[in-house]
Amino acid sequence: MNAVMDHNTKFSQVEKISRTRAKLDQFAYRWRLFSRNKGAMVGLVILIAWLSVMIFADSIVPYPPLDKVTRARQAPSAEFWFGSDMLGRDMFSRVLYGSRISLALGVISVIIGAVPGTALGLIAGYFGGKVDDIIMRVLDALLAFPGILLALVIIASLGPSIQNVMIAVGISTLPQYARLVRGSVLTIKELVYIEAARVIGCKPIRIMLHHILPNAISPIIVLSTLQVGNAILVGSGLSFLGLGAQPPAAEWGLMTAAGRELLSKAWWISTFPGLAILSVVMAFNLVGDGLRVALDPRMKVG
Amino acid sequence: MRQYIFNRLLQMIPVLFLVSIIIFFIMHALPGDPAMLMLAGAEGGAVTPERIAELRAQMGLDDPLHIQYFRFITGAVRGDLGTSIRLRTPVTQLIAERFSSTLQLSLVGLGFSITFGLILGILAALKQNSWFDMISMVFSYIGVSMPIFWLGLLLILIFCFQLNWFEPAGGTGFKSLILPGITLGLSSAGIVSRLTRSSLIEVLNEDYIRTARGKGLKEIGVILHHALQNSMIPVVTMIGLQFGSMLAGAVVTETVFSRPGLGRLIVNAILWKDYPLVQGSVLVLALIYLLVNLLVDISYAWLDPRIHYN
Repeated sequence: MNAVMDHNTKFSQVEKISRTRAKLDQFAYRWRLFSRNKGAMVGLVILIAWLSVMIFADSIVPYPPLDKVTRARQAPSAEFWFGSDMLGRDMFSRVLYGSRISLALGVISVIIGAVPGTALGLIAGYFGGKVDDIIMRVLDALLAFPGILLALVIIASLGPSIQNVMIAVGISTLPQYARLVRGSVLTIKELVYIEAARVIGCKPIRIMLHHILPNAISPIIVLSTLQVGNAILVGSGLSFLGLGAQPPAAEWGLMTAAGRELLSKAWWISTFPGLAILSVVMAFNLVGDGLRVALDPRMKVG
Repeated sequence: MRQYIFNRLLQMIPVLFLVSIIIFFIMHALPGDPAMLMLAGAEGGAVTPERIAELRAQMGLDDPLHIQYFRFITGAVRGDLGTSIRLRTPVTQLIAERFSSTLQLSLVGLGFSITFGLILGILAALKQNSWFDMISMVFSYIGVSMPIFWLGLLLILIFCFQLNWFEPAGGTGFKSLILPGITLGLSSAGIVSRLTRSSLIEVLNEDYIRTARGKGLKEIGVILHHALQNSMIPVVTMIGLQFGSMLAGAVVTETVFSRPGLGRLIVNAILWKDYPLVQGSVLVLALIYLLVNLLVDISYAWLDPRIHYN
């Protein structure tokens, strides 16, 4: 009896080690594919730079972002790298601080869209039939709203604020996740190991979360990465329209809008926040495309 | 073909019905009392409980939700989308007034994106992996990552204030549409160029292209008559989708260039809490988007004779 147990534990230990080994090999292989892509590496570097700015903003900004520190509308100089805005606040500090709002907006709205979207896709794909019909009909209707229109309707109802922008942008991307996941589930659920799991009595929820989801995760990761960039783009657009972050927040879209009236006199107020948005969004797009190639070269997203 | 179009139009009805339910549900079931928001927005300060109750009764907000929806949808079917609270004008009239401006803008944007995107994509495909291909890829990454509002401001800064080529806002005629059109179309131009490139490269590797070349056709003839048309099918789908994003992107572009269009109307309606106006104009935009996608599907048959609609 003891000997059998001993054998079993030993066996499982060996198995565990070889599994970890396989996972590491897998990771190294994916990383090699990713790092060979020059664009993706450029994106990754920009992204890491912005993440560090976000984390250490308090200690690296030269001035407090919400305080008047100099005369209004000062052109960029050695002292104030990006100049000052119409209230005499330091633009450089404000742009650096803006990374906090924008990155949070990108990540949180992606979670708001990806988690329920994935769940609905799993349910629709796994159960099929009527459930699938109802879920997909409603999601198709959501897709009939072009671009940011659905987000606009949600904002109209909830009222303008940065939290509501996250909710609005998240919900409006939900159907894309559901469609993507449903597609993967339809292929995966026909495989033999799912049949096996069902035969040994696994409950549907366990099959969906432990057997199907891990094999459908790659496209979700890619879509999410690309969506973070997209969410930042849409979110800052809503703030630009006055429907998102409200003054005096150091938000890039809002800052760009503030400089709009002063464009002919103080170009720097609009220019630098816009450049910040462009660089972050481009970084996410580059990394997302790199991941797409690394995780599955044949995969199509969106 | 006629049967197919008829069926597709018929299928649009349930989708539009669902769309209207979603708009209505979001606008009415989520927190926020329209009567109160409206009073706060329109009259500023004078928000008394009596006034709210009066307005709620007047707007029929005390009726059960399904009765309110029934009123909305029966009106919509008859072409009556209610009356704007702020402007005290029928919503359909407001939409009709603004629509042509937005349509012109979207068409110019689409025209720019197709012309520029196709030329760039075709050249990139023919000179695969050259420096030109590289530049067109960088361009397309910038295009899709660029905030529309910032691009618009940059163009105004350069072409209106530095070079004095255009008026920064207002103006009429085609000239006033150039900068807004480029602003609206740049990101699609990037997407169209990438898709054209990959699609054309795929088609150029097909056997019938080798045959065409083999029978001694000039390269330009092979590309124009044989390759291009077949490579356009995915591109046309994408252009249909892009038209939708143009309609939505017009919201931002019209604000940047101070153009009085449908997008600007929606943004103002949201800021004014003008519920009937938001509901009505979003419903109309969704309808237009669905119709454009139908047109795209029909155009497949023209592009690819192998496709039959039965």
